[in-house]
Amino acid sequence: MSGTPPRMLLDGDERDEIAPASGEQRALGRDPFEAEPTHDPFVGRLEEIEALLERAQESLLPPRPAPDLAKQAPETPAALRPRPVRPRWVTTPRLGDVELAREAGLVERLLSEPDRRRLAALEHLAPGDVPYDRFGFSPEVVRTAFPAFLALYRYYFRVESRGHDRIPSEGPAILAANHAGVLPFDGAMAVIDVLLHTDPPRLPRAVVDRWAGSLPFVNVFFARVGQVIGTRENFADLLDDGQCLLVFPEGMDGVRKRITQRYRLQEFHTGFVEEALRARAPIVPMAILGSDDQMPVLFDLEPIARRLGLPMLPITPTFPWLGPLGLLPYPVRYRIVYGEPLTFHERFDPDAANDVRLVRHLTQQVRRTVQQLMDRGRG
Amino acid sequence: MTAVLVTHADEPIGRRIVKTLFYDARVDRILGVGNGAAPRAFDRFLADPGGRFAYLRSSLSRHRSVSDLFHSARVRDAGVDTVVHVPGHLPEEGAAPRLLAGVPPRTAEARLVLQHALDSPAIHSFVALGSAFVYRLWPGNANLLRESSELDLAPDVGPELRSWIDCDMIFHGELGSDQLRVVLLRLPTVVGSGGYVYLHPLLAGRPGPRLRPLGFDPVCALVADKDVALAVAAAVHAKRSGVYNVAGAEAVPLSVLGSWTRRPLVPVPGPWLRLAAGALRLAVGEARLERLAGDHLRYGFTLDTRRAEHELEFRPTHRIGLARAGDGELRLETMPV
Repeated sequence: MSGTPPRMLLDGDERDEIAPASGEQRALGRDPFEAEPTHDPFVGRLEEIEALLERAQESLLPPRPAPDLAKQAPETPAALRPRPVRPRWVTTPRLGDVELAREAGLVERLLSEPDRRRLAALEHLAPGDVPYDRFGFSPEVVRTAFPAFLALYRYYFRVESRGHDRIPSEGPAILAANHAGVLPFDGAMAVIDVLLHTDPPRLPRAVVDRWAGSLPFVNVFFARVGQVIGTRENFADLLDDGQCLLVFPEGMDGVRKRITQRYRLQEFHTGFVEEALRARAPIVPMAILGSDDQMPVLFDLEPIARRLGLPMLPITPTFPWLGPLGLLPYPVRYRIVYGEPLTFHERFDPDAANDVRLVRHLTQQVRRTVQQLMDRGRG
Repeated sequence: MTAVLVTHADEPIGRRIVKTLFYDARVDRILGVGNGAAPRAFDRFLADPGGRFAYLRSSLSRHRSVSDLFHSARVRDAGVDTVVHVPGHLPEEGAAPRLLAGVPPRTAEARLVLQHALDSPAIHSFVALGSAFVYRLWPGNANLLRESSELDLAPDVGPELRSWIDCDMIFHGELGSDQLRVVLLRLPTVVGSGGYVYLHPLLAGRPGPRLRPLGFDPVCALVADKDVALAVAAAVHAKRSGVYNVAGAEAVPLSVLGSWTRRPLVPVPGPWLRLAAGALRLAVGEARLERLAGDHLRYGFTLDTRRAEHELEFRPTHRIGLARAGDGELRLETMPV
């Protein structure tokens, strides 16, 4: 591939609400205002900023009434209306309804019966004769990898969590969390935590940067365990299926933040709020404490990283001094806290996703909530 | 009633389309056109006492023969009002595509057939098969692509894909035509019972081992050849024009698809593969370069088919999977749901 080809206008473009504005397909949630100052305007001044934002909302953006869906229903006769092609939502059965195979494999014998039931329930996410979903997710690979990640969860990071009852048990949902620690162990621990504490078990589909899709082996593993590249099409399609997504709205800025910025959120990308409004999905704010300490970044050799095609080249107390061993995260204790779901879709209709100012405001609200959860969790 | 002319009716997909249209009560007459002699599978259709099916032999890449075809008494008497264009395979596997006035035969055929359909006052519908590999692929094991996704217009794509992109753009240019209703169906990898593979740049062609880059195993969206024929039938009778993604419910990694279709894939480190591609380019030009280089060997896609489901009312009705054949061997089969 060389150069950026001109984008073709295809049939139906005018109807495509989320078509990228430029020739290059945008990564999910790239903030169009990101050229603005990126300093954190509210750390230490949360109450003041909150009051300002509320006043701005009252004067500029009066709350919109929730749409009356009954009135908006098309008047087409039922016989001519398109039939639903797929089941409304892709779901898993409750643990009590899961039938376990009589013979467990060698790896599965390491697991308790409830855990085995959870893994068996995930097979409903890729039904049919072909054990893959359309994004390459494979329950078989999850079953194989699960014991290793469970060991990390229980014995290495010793994860504690609270507020699981705030995760919706069905339907589309977005978990929005902070991101840190160079390597995405925070994502893995969050996925395991949700899987272990929901019934019916939910496997959050972590949304990852496009760069991960170009890494040999990593791209395959990520896809097989349910992660998806963060394009708007993928995002919208999974929400349409009623799946639970895990997003890190800070993106790579969160991963590469230095030790001096620990537990301070970077700017949030806005795309996840737009898609939440369109899909009428709640956003569950989530704080992951511990990932900021697992691999403190002293410096980021960004110019060299750019030459090597890497998003970052961190210097930590152990990397690169100990070679690859230096990338091993410190055995810090993780704490995960779930906040009350933010149900923007109950206040605003899907068209509100096109209102850039409103979306930015709502994104700031999510960011503020996550920061508060982090501050309270640390306190 | 409808009379349909099917191009490349002698090729596997064309045969399947002729068969589906033949048993479609809404189709009055079918005229199959192919480069070769009528396949034996057509014997029972040709023997139909009502004369619903006829087969003509014609070279679609030559202006004179296409002109003769569209002005022939057979076409006029049949009252052909719809053309289904099935792009042909490249002539020889592993050989450079023969160029006609600087363009590959597939592109020349698309241009000629569409032009004559536009010129013919009796023809008011044109349904063309296209490839979903024309979309630009981005890093990722699987990305969902919509009809509005970008096409791969980069200058370094191989000749096989280039000809599909050219055909796509030719058909796309007439979507707004007042005289002709144009429907373009973009298909992912088409598979048929017994391991037949169509359209995938790496797997199409004869069975046998292939090379793939180590560390990548992209997801391949699949569609059964029988579902392609059903989608064509739906497009023939629909009153709409436009571009539609058509795919089945299944998507499998490339390595799995290779083993299912008796085309085992040997993973090779990417730099070696690039060296081999460079050597091939020097030795035989750019023929079949897609087999060693190209984003589709590393990045996969699935298709958003909701537009076809809603507007053409097409839904895949065949499952794709492995089934044990009479000789006891496991083979790829397409089975009705």
